[in-house]
Amino acid sequence: MFNRSATSSVSRCINAWSASLLLVLCLPVFADKSGPVVRLFPTTVLEDIRETGQVAEAMENSLQDVIARMDMQQQLYTQSLCEGAEGDQGCDRIGKQLGATYLEMLNVMQERLPDMEIAVNNTRASLEKRLREEIGYRTTPTSLQDTLLGEVSAAGPEKDRPALRGRSGIRLSDRFQKYYELVATTREGPGRSLAVVASDIYLDMNEASQLIAATQQEISRAALMEQLNQSFGLITPEMSAVVGGVKEILFGETMDRSSIAAPPYMIGESEFVSPLAM
Amino acid sequence: MSRLKLLSTGCVAGLILSITAGCASQQNADACNLPQTSDLDRAITNVEHNLATGCEHRFHDYFQSLLVVAADNPHSNNRMLMSDHLVRSHEQGVISKRQAQGLYNRYFSVKFVSLQGEYNTCSQTCPVRDKVMSDMKAELQDKELGLMRASADSNSYYRADNLLKETDLVLEATCRACAAGNRQVSQQ
Repeated sequence: MFNRSATSSVSRCINAWSASLLLVLCLPVFADKSGPVVRLFPTTVLEDIRETGQVAEAMENSLQDVIARMDMQQQLYTQSLCEGAEGDQGCDRIGKQLGATYLEMLNVMQERLPDMEIAVNNTRASLEKRLREEIGYRTTPTSLQDTLLGEVSAAGPEKDRPALRGRSGIRLSDRFQKYYELVATTREGPGRSLAVVASDIYLDMNEASQLIAATQQEISRAALMEQLNQSFGLITPEMSAVVGGVKEILFGETMDRSSIAAPPYMIGESEFVSPLAM
Repeated sequence: MSRLKLLSTGCVAGLILSITAGCASQQNADACNLPQTSDLDRAITNVEHNLATGCEHRFHDYFQSLLVVAADNPHSNNRMLMSDHLVRSHEQGVISKRQAQGLYNRYFSVKFVSLQGEYNTCSQTCPVRDKVMSDMKAELQDKELGLMRASADSNSYYRADNLLKETDLVLEATCRACAAGNRQVSQQ
């Protein structure tokens, strides 16, 4: 139920959030290279993203320790052949310790999630304002195409780009891992349009905000359940459901979406330009 | 008797006239036939001859048939040939400049004619975002014919495909941001 993969997931998540910090550091360079018409990442937005990364990292560090301990207790429980050994005092004790660690995890989550929620909402709000002002009000549909196409035309091979997000099922940490890939690509040459990056982060922040709110509700309910269940000292399905919810935000499974092949545009190629072309 | 003769003469004349008119109509219909050749250059020459001799009303049929001919013989030059044809059709007065531009860009440009406008995105595109995206998807199919199949230019087609996806994402975020702004204004 609580296996070792949780620890590695935490590490992945930390990497992902570190990637978000890298993204923040690299965005001004990215902006200069692509020469965008719109200013989507002023200092205030970058500061919000940086702060969100820090809050997330702090939460992940706190959870890493608790989840590692839970892993060890789970291992001990299994090695001691406690599954199904009802009435065994030793096993009961291990079970209760597991339940207590689980409650500790819920407390950490409950303590950290409000900060996380505030940080995510701040980032979402500042990006929302920039998108509205810079793209919503300062671009026309025609110039939007120019912005997107102008920057995409010089982009690297499709395989090096992060896939676009889907409508659902994309985890926050996974997204930031993909942003890391974007930054890595950007170091070697121009990449995806800033408008796309901003839209991507904004939509993710919306999704994360909803997930955090839902998880907070779930944690409150599950904490009460576990306090009642302490006398049994068992790992209940509710416990695993809550851990699943936590992992949904932080330790998302990789959804490998294959993207359409788009070979790089050959800049040096002499091509016909029609007098009718837009 | 003379009245009867006059009547029969009239009938014969009418018959001859109607046969002649029918033949002329048939001849005209034949003259407006779609090109039969598989050579795009010759097909364009035939079409332009027809367009100059009373078959302007079939312009769009001709254009579609030329696309089919081009798709059967894909070549990077086809895009130029089609562009020249559209320019000449405009110069002949068969189509307007806007029509010529619209057709060329719909089939042979990476950019989408479905996403055009001079007003801001919040006010012009967001209220009809679903329709715009639907039109762009339909246009991508035409680009598949014009760019990929007729011009053998898969790179440009992939760029158009990518542009469509990115536009979808950016519009989703931007229109959500616009709607949030509208809510804030209405609450104040």
